[in-house]
Amino acid sequence: MCLRCLKYLPGMGRVLAGFAGLCLAIALSGCEREQRAFPQPADAKLMPQTLRQSELQPGQPAQPVGRGEHLPPPDYQAKYENNAYAVSQGRRLYRWFNCNGCHANGGGDIGPPLMDDRWIYGGEPADIYTSILHGRPNGMPSFAGHITEDQLWQIVAYVRSMSGQLRIDTAPSRSDNLQPAEPESRRERQDMRQSAPPKEHS
Amino acid sequence: MSWLPLIAGCWLSFPGLSFANAFAGEKDGEWPMAANNYASTRYSALSDINTANVHTLKPVVTFSTGVNRGHEAAPLVINNTMYIVTPYPNYLYALDLNKPGAPQKWKFDPQPQSAAQGVACCDFVNRGTAYAEGRVFINTLDNQTIAVDAEDGKEIWRTRMGDIKTGETMTMAPLVVNGKVLVGNSGGEFGVRGWLAALDAKSGKELWRAWSTGPDKDVLIGSNFKPYYASDRGKDLGLTTWPGLSWQNGGGNVWGWISFDPALNLIYYGTGNPGPWNPEQRPGDNKWTAGIFARNPDTGEARWFYQFSPHDLHDYDAINENILIDAPVKGRERKLLIRPERNGYIYVLDRTTGQVLSADPFVRVTTSAGVDLKSGRIRYNPAKEPRVGETIRDICPVSPGAKDWQPSSYSPRTGLIYIPHQNMCQDAQSYNVSYIAGTPYVGSDTRMYAGPGGNLGVMTAWDPLSRKKKWDVREPFPVWSGTLATAGDLVFYGTMEGWFKAVDAQTGKLLWQFKTGSGIVGQPISYRGPDRRQYIAVLSGVGGWAGALVSGELDARDATAAKGFANAVKTLPAHTTRGGMLYVFALP
Amino acid sequence: MVALMAWENPSPADAALPTAAHNALAPAGPQAAHIAGLWYLIVGVCGIVFTLVLLAVLYAIWRAPRATETTPAALHDDNPRIRRSVVWAVIVSTALLILLTVASIATDRVLAGLSLTDAIHIDITAHQWWWEARYDDAQPSNRFTTANEIHIPVGKPVILTLKSDDVIHSLWVPNLAGKKDLIPGRTATLTLQADREGDYRGQCAEFCGYQHSYMAFLLRADVPARYQAWLEAQRQPAAQSAAALESRGRQVFLGGNCAMCHAIEGTGAGGRHGPDLTHLASRESIAAGTLANTPENLARWISDPQAIKPGANMPPTDLPPDDLQALVAYLSSLP
Repeated sequence: MCLRCLKYLPGMGRVLAGFAGLCLAIALSGCEREQRAFPQPADAKLMPQTLRQSELQPGQPAQPVGRGEHLPPPDYQAKYENNAYAVSQGRRLYRWFNCNGCHANGGGDIGPPLMDDRWIYGGEPADIYTSILHGRPNGMPSFAGHITEDQLWQIVAYVRSMSGQLRIDTAPSRSDNLQPAEPESRRERQDMRQSAPPKEHS
Repeated sequence: MSWLPLIAGCWLSFPGLSFANAFAGEKDGEWPMAANNYASTRYSALSDINTANVHTLKPVVTFSTGVNRGHEAAPLVINNTMYIVTPYPNYLYALDLNKPGAPQKWKFDPQPQSAAQGVACCDFVNRGTAYAEGRVFINTLDNQTIAVDAEDGKEIWRTRMGDIKTGETMTMAPLVVNGKVLVGNSGGEFGVRGWLAALDAKSGKELWRAWSTGPDKDVLIGSNFKPYYASDRGKDLGLTTWPGLSWQNGGGNVWGWISFDPALNLIYYGTGNPGPWNPEQRPGDNKWTAGIFARNPDTGEARWFYQFSPHDLHDYDAINENILIDAPVKGRERKLLIRPERNGYIYVLDRTTGQVLSADPFVRVTTSAGVDLKSGRIRYNPAKEPRVGETIRDICPVSPGAKDWQPSSYSPRTGLIYIPHQNMCQDAQSYNVSYIAGTPYVGSDTRMYAGPGGNLGVMTAWDPLSRKKKWDVREPFPVWSGTLATAGDLVFYGTMEGWFKAVDAQTGKLLWQFKTGSGIVGQPISYRGPDRRQYIAVLSGVGGWAGALVSGELDARDATAAKGFANAVKTLPAHTTRGGMLYVFALP
Repeated sequence: MVALMAWENPSPADAALPTAAHNALAPAGPQAAHIAGLWYLIVGVCGIVFTLVLLAVLYAIWRAPRATETTPAALHDDNPRIRRSVVWAVIVSTALLILLTVASIATDRVLAGLSLTDAIHIDITAHQWWWEARYDDAQPSNRFTTANEIHIPVGKPVILTLKSDDVIHSLWVPNLAGKKDLIPGRTATLTLQADREGDYRGQCAEFCGYQHSYMAFLLRADVPARYQAWLEAQRQPAAQSAAALESRGRQVFLGGNCAMCHAIEGTGAGGRHGPDLTHLASRESIAAGTLANTPENLARWISDPQAIKPGANMPPTDLPPDDLQALVAYLSSLP
């Protein structure tokens, strides 16, 4: 039926072909967003516990393990922030490891908010990574030795989605549960600024 | 006018209701403990400031504490010295009231671990100090009880009571009874097992520790334990009413108020919520959480127990103040304990036996339909029971309750209880949560909002004997400060916008107000200065669970921030900012 | 695409639950028996009808055509034979359909009416991709949690309360009962009973993601005495071995990332997002019926679970060989 239409409407045919091409392009670009790279044993190293800044650790004190990199892996953007699966895993782990107990769904509670523009220890991936890994002296526990590097970067990517740092097609959209706030994908990008911790907490 | 005849006067005119003063322990116009007396009436017998002249009240002294978190503490006044403890880092100040401007006499810095801030559930507050025989006792956020010399601020002893690594903290005001410092822990949102302990006031040595969950020997339940209701009798209920070993992370923390009846030699205190909030993770009655214990303060042995919220469903901690009065009920003179409870009811208990004489709702309650006085059991509404994965709406009262820790006062002159409280409801969705030591153990996403009428706070005057509300004052924000009743027929309280108010104790009419620098969540007190004049003092400094949005600079765009409280007080940042200041008022 | 990738993996499941029965046509309890009865009735009726229709078609093909291509038979003719055939066909089909409907309703009613006195209550929560089971008891302290293995006593009704933690799953133990979906935010119940001792395989029967096919569990129906002994053992907190290797393994478990998701009762590890491991060594399989529970498989699973069950939420854990050996020894010491 459609082919017969094309015969009679060559102009329309070009439009449709263009549209089909566009759809294909979108579909192909979407593939990467959904690419699921499952962690290999090489991603598995438990993070080092050197340089801890916090007296607190989740659970029992960690076993000593070696030192690790503190910079994002070279493919950080592609593998984490531009990958919807990695961000959604980060979101899952954020709740599983009780991050939400202190930071709520981004608005903060015992710990500071994560959805706003104020970042006491910096809001770049490496800063957030260091905060989670080493902890911070005013109450942020040190997760070194308790989570794997891959999980940590997933959480970093999700945390950054809370303040609108990610592409809207990789940031999580509305969940089925009680809706605490605008979904991460709908949040406006905040210009991160570093604010020193208040003196009393030094 | 001298105050003695007045006291005598009220003794004569209210013979049945004046029992509170009988074990007040207060000397001439001092304020020796957070509740002023063991009966926890927070009633001042001073009447220089009264309904006729209160409108001329002026601030005379201010003092900045240097800390700007929630100032929930009550100042103490002993020997013309005022003692103030701040939120973390728990500075203890002594102010010399003999000198003009009440200058600082000394400051004690306990230097708590900074990481303790990360495990303090709802702002890192401190609810006050205790005093006995020349020593001031404080609890620090990192679980130390410290005795400080009241004269020179030198440390006498310090005892470590717990470990922040498990999420344990201390925020309550100690109480000294029979030479023992009674202290308890916080951490119901971290799966910390609750306890109340007694330390020797002289040496700081731990004399006994009564756990809120676990086997009878840990809970100090022995042969003298005679609870009134059958459901509280049985062996090791602190074990058998929990699945598996979950009692070890079961909460029941003792972070609220303790009262003491010297005649019966019993202390009364409540236990906090069971952990986690998600009730499906802890089927059973979860003894001995969310209830009240009567214990012998010398041995710690339990005498009776009553559970306000068995198998608590909504974080209804039962740590509120217990006001002890003697009054006739149905023609019989009885020793009573009045408890405005978080679950929405005002309980009147017989404090010798633990029998519930009445339980009346004082706010809109949807989570239960009354209390069965025969069995003592609250009747839960199954429709409001949290179920994992479902959003339950219109839960009233909210998790912080119809009324949280903020203490009521009782005036023997009016026979009324002045209850500062909330008028709030919430939507909640529970989920299964992992216990990971040192991280929160809650399992509920909560979103709070105002109850009927749209006002978040209320100051209610309640007649416990006729079981009726006398009057109320509606406030836009939760009334998170304590109240103070005075013999001048005034009731003082503060609002979260920063207004410090005096209302008529009989009618609730606003007679005077003063705008302080920050929201008030502290406990007002009254004392007689060395110049024989009456003073009113209060700490201003917004915070606590209700004020965490401002004190913690949270983001209310997330409705679940501060466990959902931020949503209700969304506009608070437009009305107040962080602060920490003492205000003292007097007549000109 | 997703399913294809799952198939590319070496199939690990063959070794896991080799003896467990998995056959709806071999009912082992009243529920399954009634369902099987209904099944045989439907298959029988439909089979006969199908056969008759086929025969009729063959007969029609075999018969020589009476009409030519240009003059089709006048079907609208008022032919009494045709009318009779139609009437009979309608009557027979209606009667058969009514028979099947009544049989189905009757089976449902019988299933609903089965005695539930002294029933055993088990709360089942489905996760991607494993099963959590919590055993109910009037005395709360007797409750316990286990995973991927359910024991029930022979001859007693069992009520399963079904919930899901993430997506829609479906629980199916073909030898014992029909399927029932587990839907997030809802609670369903399923009743079953085993009248014959034995091991039965349960399986997720609703596509639930990457490892749907490796989401199985073992249901063991035991004589009451053995069941009771198992129950008593499961109620105990984890065994505490004093041996050096096991204590070291315990430290690895508690101080590493295991305790972030898994629980071992009595150690302080209270993770709820992975299977409860308090009595891991008592189970037949690991990874939800995917691997036989042997020390070698445990070590394989801990160090590289993604090679076995890609997409599972268990991360690979890079432990020094000594630590891994200690951890496996510890987990194997939890009967």
